[in-house]
Amino acid sequence: MEGFLQALAAGLLIGAVYGLMCVGLGLIFGVMRVINFAHGDFMMLGMYTAFYLFTAAGVQALFGNTVGPFVAILLAGPVLALFGYFVHLALISHVSGTRTASLEGEGHYAQLILTLGIALILQNGGLIVFGSVLASIRTPLSSSAWELGPLFDMSIFLNKARSIDAVVSLAIMVLLSLLITRTRIGKSLRAAADNPTAATYMGIDVDRAHRTAFALGCGITAIAGGLLATNYPFHPFVGLEYVIVMYAGVVLGGMGSIIGAFWGGMTIGLVQQMSTLILPTQLQNAAIFAVFLLIIFFRPQGFFGRMVERT
Amino acid sequence: MLRIERLSAGYSAKPVLNDVSIDVGAGQFVAIVGPNGAGKTTLFKTISGIVKPSGGAITFDGVDLLAVPPPQRAHLGIAHVPEGRQVFPSLTVMENLEMGAMTESGHRDWQANIERIFEWLPVLKERRNQFAGTMSGGQQQMLAIGRGLASSPKLLMLDEPSMGLAPSTADFIFERLIEIRRQSGLTMLLVEQRVAEALESADRGYVLEAGHVVLEGNNATLRADDRVRKAYLGM
Repeated sequence: MEGFLQALAAGLLIGAVYGLMCVGLGLIFGVMRVINFAHGDFMMLGMYTAFYLFTAAGVQALFGNTVGPFVAILLAGPVLALFGYFVHLALISHVSGTRTASLEGEGHYAQLILTLGIALILQNGGLIVFGSVLASIRTPLSSSAWELGPLFDMSIFLNKARSIDAVVSLAIMVLLSLLITRTRIGKSLRAAADNPTAATYMGIDVDRAHRTAFALGCGITAIAGGLLATNYPFHPFVGLEYVIVMYAGVVLGGMGSIIGAFWGGMTIGLVQQMSTLILPTQLQNAAIFAVFLLIIFFRPQGFFGRMVERT
Repeated sequence: MLRIERLSAGYSAKPVLNDVSIDVGAGQFVAIVGPNGAGKTTLFKTISGIVKPSGGAITFDGVDLLAVPPPQRAHLGIAHVPEGRQVFPSLTVMENLEMGAMTESGHRDWQANIERIFEWLPVLKERRNQFAGTMSGGQQQMLAIGRGLASSPKLLMLDEPSMGLAPSTADFIFERLIEIRRQSGLTMLLVEQRVAEALESADRGYVLEAGHVVLEGNNATLRADDRVRKAYLGM
């Protein structure tokens, strides 16, 4: 029982961060319908950005070892959002949005090749610039825990860094939901996702909406990556490990549902941690995909998937 | 207000519109009728910028419309109520109307507009928090019209507002459109397959066949024309 609760708690904490990571991709896919294979590598860049902001750009000196990492991680968000903005402007916009809306397959083939190409450049460019040595954003909180309990002779330990990671993720999720559901920008993003042609008739610049979504998606996933990096070491090819999890989360949540992607990521975090109760740790990822297939078998549209296709 | 001169347009190698000239004066209600595939929807899409013309000119309010990027055209005062309604299914009725009001004028007049829209189309008020995708076809059509009105347009373009609707619903929507026009004096351009109703309520009309304007005139002339009577009015 104690082991079960401990795994549940760990799953919820890591699930919140996975959820945030998936939301970044879900936002891009939901609004643009572009399969971004480079998203894991944008996350890798986010991790390194947070790492260098912390160690080399003075954040560590300014905020210390405890708060500093989280300041650096939050700052990496806007940096990667800006990077995403320009990648969209220079590259992605040429193979997506209104330019390809009338083409057969809406330009998906070109998008596939382009984002795979970006992924390769980022991975190998990362190898040249950052080297292959494992890096991590260490904080003293990574190796200490809060104890919940004892209650009924049971205690649950919550890793302090992971707990803060989860709280930060949830806070950003709340802010993002408010942005999407309450503001004019958010509503116009959803309108552009629903029906790009009709959105144009409303005077919404669909390509600009896409750029906003792409920038936001990159920024959000960068923050999630930074949060993961407080506990997991990373390297230039780390994106590959996570991009699969991201896609699984987005599909589980329901393609196109932005909030759904969060619950998809949460599910994956839970399954990953709970599976260690009955399976060897090496089979964590196998467990994720077994559960993934099971859920998709019974609910092909995902948790929040729309039954009606977009017009 | 809207002047289309010798417009040609189409999809890649297939021309759909050939030398089409249409004139809509301020305050007029102009109907474009014709059979399926005549190019009526393509004409609207060209005005909105979704289809690029291969020749000709469009001026709106003295502005060369073809030089204006598509999303900016709504901001000039053109509201396009598209064929097949095309409401935003995952947005609520209210959010759909807000999207109509993305233009500066729509934003400015929001309060007055929303009151008038709810008065003209009360079903939208009743269902303002419902997701648009869950509404019936007739309700979605009313929403699409309300969404167009929410931008405070100078010109309201309606592409087959009766498409796919039960005859009684289509009648009701026509009746609403005439009432809206009577009260607001809005300039309207209507594309319609229900020729009799369209010609009855419009000031002027054009008959479009296979990409050509084959006939134009005021409503009395058109309804008296033998070809129109035979082909479209079944007389």
